Amino acid sequence: MLPLRYSVRSFWERRSRSALTIAVIALVVLALGLLSGLVTSLQASTRAAGSPKNLIVLRKGATSDGASALPLQAYQTIRFFEGIARGRDGEPLVSPEFLVQPFGATRAGERESVLVRGVESAAFEVHDDIRIVLGRALQPSSGEAIAGRAAASRYLGAEPGGRMALGNASYTVVGVFEADGSALESEIWVDARELANDVKRPSPYSSLRIRLAEGADADALMRRIDSDARFTLASSLESEYYEKQAASAGALYIVVGGLALLAGIGAAFGATNTLYATVQARTREIGTLRALGFSRAAIASSFVLESVLIAFAGFAAGAALAWLAAQIVSAVVGQVPLFGMGSASLISIRVGIVDLAFAFALALAIGVGGALLPALRAARLRPIDALRKG
Amino acid sequence: MKYLPLVLANLRRSPLRSVLTAAAIAFAIALVCLLRSMPGALESILDYAASGSRVVVQNKAGFEYPLPYAYLQKVRALPGVVSAVSWTWYGGVYEVEKGVTFPSFATEPDQIAEVFPDWQLPPEMVESFQRHRDGAIIGRATAKSYGWEVGDRVTLRGDTFPVDLELVIIGIVPHDLSPVMLLQREYFDQALQAIGSGLDFASLFYVRVDDRARLEPLAREIDALFRNSGAQTLTESEKDYFKTMFSALDAFIAITIVVSVLVALCIVFIAANTASLSVRERAGELAVLKSMGFRKRLLFRLLIAEVLVIALVGGAAGALGSFLITLGLHGAATGLMPQLGPLGSFVITRAIAVQGLFLAVFIGMIAGAVPSWGASRRGVAETMRELF
Repeated sequence: MLPLRYSVRSFWERRSRSALTIAVIALVVLALGLLSGLVTSLQASTRAAGSPKNLIVLRKGATSDGASALPLQAYQTIRFFEGIARGRDGEPLVSPEFLVQPFGATRAGERESVLVRGVESAAFEVHDDIRIVLGRALQPSSGEAIAGRAAASRYLGAEPGGRMALGNASYTVVGVFEADGSALESEIWVDARELANDVKRPSPYSSLRIRLAEGADADALMRRIDSDARFTLASSLESEYYEKQAASAGALYIVVGGLALLAGIGAAFGATNTLYATVQARTREIGTLRALGFSRAAIASSFVLESVLIAFAGFAAGAALAWLAAQIVSAVVGQVPLFGMGSASLISIRVGIVDLAFAFALALAIGVGGALLPALRAARLRPIDALRKG
Repeated sequence: MKYLPLVLANLRRSPLRSVLTAAAIAFAIALVCLLRSMPGALESILDYAASGSRVVVQNKAGFEYPLPYAYLQKVRALPGVVSAVSWTWYGGVYEVEKGVTFPSFATEPDQIAEVFPDWQLPPEMVESFQRHRDGAIIGRATAKSYGWEVGDRVTLRGDTFPVDLELVIIGIVPHDLSPVMLLQREYFDQALQAIGSGLDFASLFYVRVDDRARLEPLAREIDALFRNSGAQTLTESEKDYFKTMFSALDAFIAITIVVSVLVALCIVFIAANTASLSVRERAGELAVLKSMGFRKRLLFRLLIAEVLVIALVGGAAGALGSFLITLGLHGAATGLMPQLGPLGSFVITRAIAVQGLFLAVFIGMIAGAVPSWGASRRGVAETMRELF
């Protein structure tokens, strides 16, 4: 076997060429990492919004709670079904909610559709991951609003004490909430009835969120809701509902993903090519090693090791850059509005291990693929021929 | 020119490397061409979908906020308005598990042809739409994706409105980018009255103006007319209205631009690396050529010509490839897979292809310049000594 030091020193000896290859691999890793980070951040925040302990009830045929309408009687009836948890006040934990997207203003002064959710007090017990981090919760029927953390940083007046003009109404913001980084943080929450009055919609609710009682039979409750002949409703576990939303959000990214794949393949081609050429150019060196008595396998593995070393260095640099870029975007741009689940959600980009896994595999493939073939081929030559070459 | 065979022979010396480098450049150029065609595609979608002689009126508060139906008569009475119709979102669901897959609106059939002359509705279709209370007309792409034909019965389930509507397709709109289904406002109204409500509002108005130059003034006039009414309006040109909807795509566009810049940079690095390698390999040969009397300048040109040939071949392949991709998308979108819709409107224009080629040449120049310059300048004796 050739000593490990041989690979490392050879890598260092050709540092300017190695640096070019490292740069190429780093750029590929950066591009793929950022892109994947964006998509997974969007999906993670969507998924995080759902709890397996909750049910969501929509009008049958509606795929999101923005495009649904429920009669008041449905709420009043379902509240007293079996299998629903009770709140601190002993009332059933059923949260009627109303989602509208009126125009609002961003801090940059642009008109944008804002996700506004009308809630009643039960909402805070059903969505138990909601925590008020600034100010206080909203009082019913008092024209107050609270803003999710992401929404607070994006929209004009969305800080405690500020006023937000949404639709025809204007709300006083009294607090900011967090929801474990979920999509709910993109929303502004106001009183459900005030919101319904503003939109002049006859039925004040678009969905119900239900907290299941401990040990309750969720399937039985869902069957009972879905089969009630008075209303045409469809219920599902909240976690499954958001899982579906996340999947449909991913579909929109196929175009971008396709372009990135094209880019990745192109760059991988190039990187493999340069490594290939580098090894090919060292035919004489390989001949010398053969003449010294090193076996083909030893030489090939040493060369592969060297190029894998280059690939790793490129990956490390690219991963660091991707992480840095995500930090910079978060610090400078803040929340990126992404069009995902039928509405814009505000996403902060994070590049995690999973996002880099594919880039890592690609870098490894470049490293091995770029060196193995030419090294084997050169090692197969008779030493005397190899020495004459180049 | 007489040195061309020499350049080509040099390229054949390591055919795999030449091909791979050209392929990398081709990928980069194809990508850049596709991205360059994106704003054009959006613009052409807008131009095709939006007529320059219509404005859209909606509630200033947002799309889901109702626009009082009585406003329509007032708008129609304004000087300069040729005709106007209201569209009211119905949100019909065809397959329950999929949700709303195409937009459906209720409208007035009597003026629809005047407001949308660009749709080229045949007069007998318009007449039939007026006559059939439960009739609906639907965009070609949507009809195709469901295999619907004129005369088919379709039942839609309301998602925000608690009424289901049974409709008969009486016409297919010969317009590629309008996925919309339109049904009679009166029919929708009666269905709502049957459950005790009714329709006294609309989602938006489409207003056709007689003079394109009067578009902006008229939009301001409409908003001024309702400034002190219960519901204020937001009137904008149809193109701006669509642009707001497309602005949701801004983030995508930004991402794709970042990715493409990174890739272009990659390719420059790669090409530079390859060029410097092939020059270094040939140091001895170059020294020989020099001692035979080849001038520095000529050697430099020969070396850079090699890189440029690769870049040009790669660039041409890339531009052609992107053209074929858009051709395929267009074919698929208008033929087998209408659901691809707007993806079919990417067009690689001659200008974009030429820009792609220029970019390829530029990449070749940058990548080839430094190593070729260095090699052509190196002293003969010095090189020979290094080699032997």
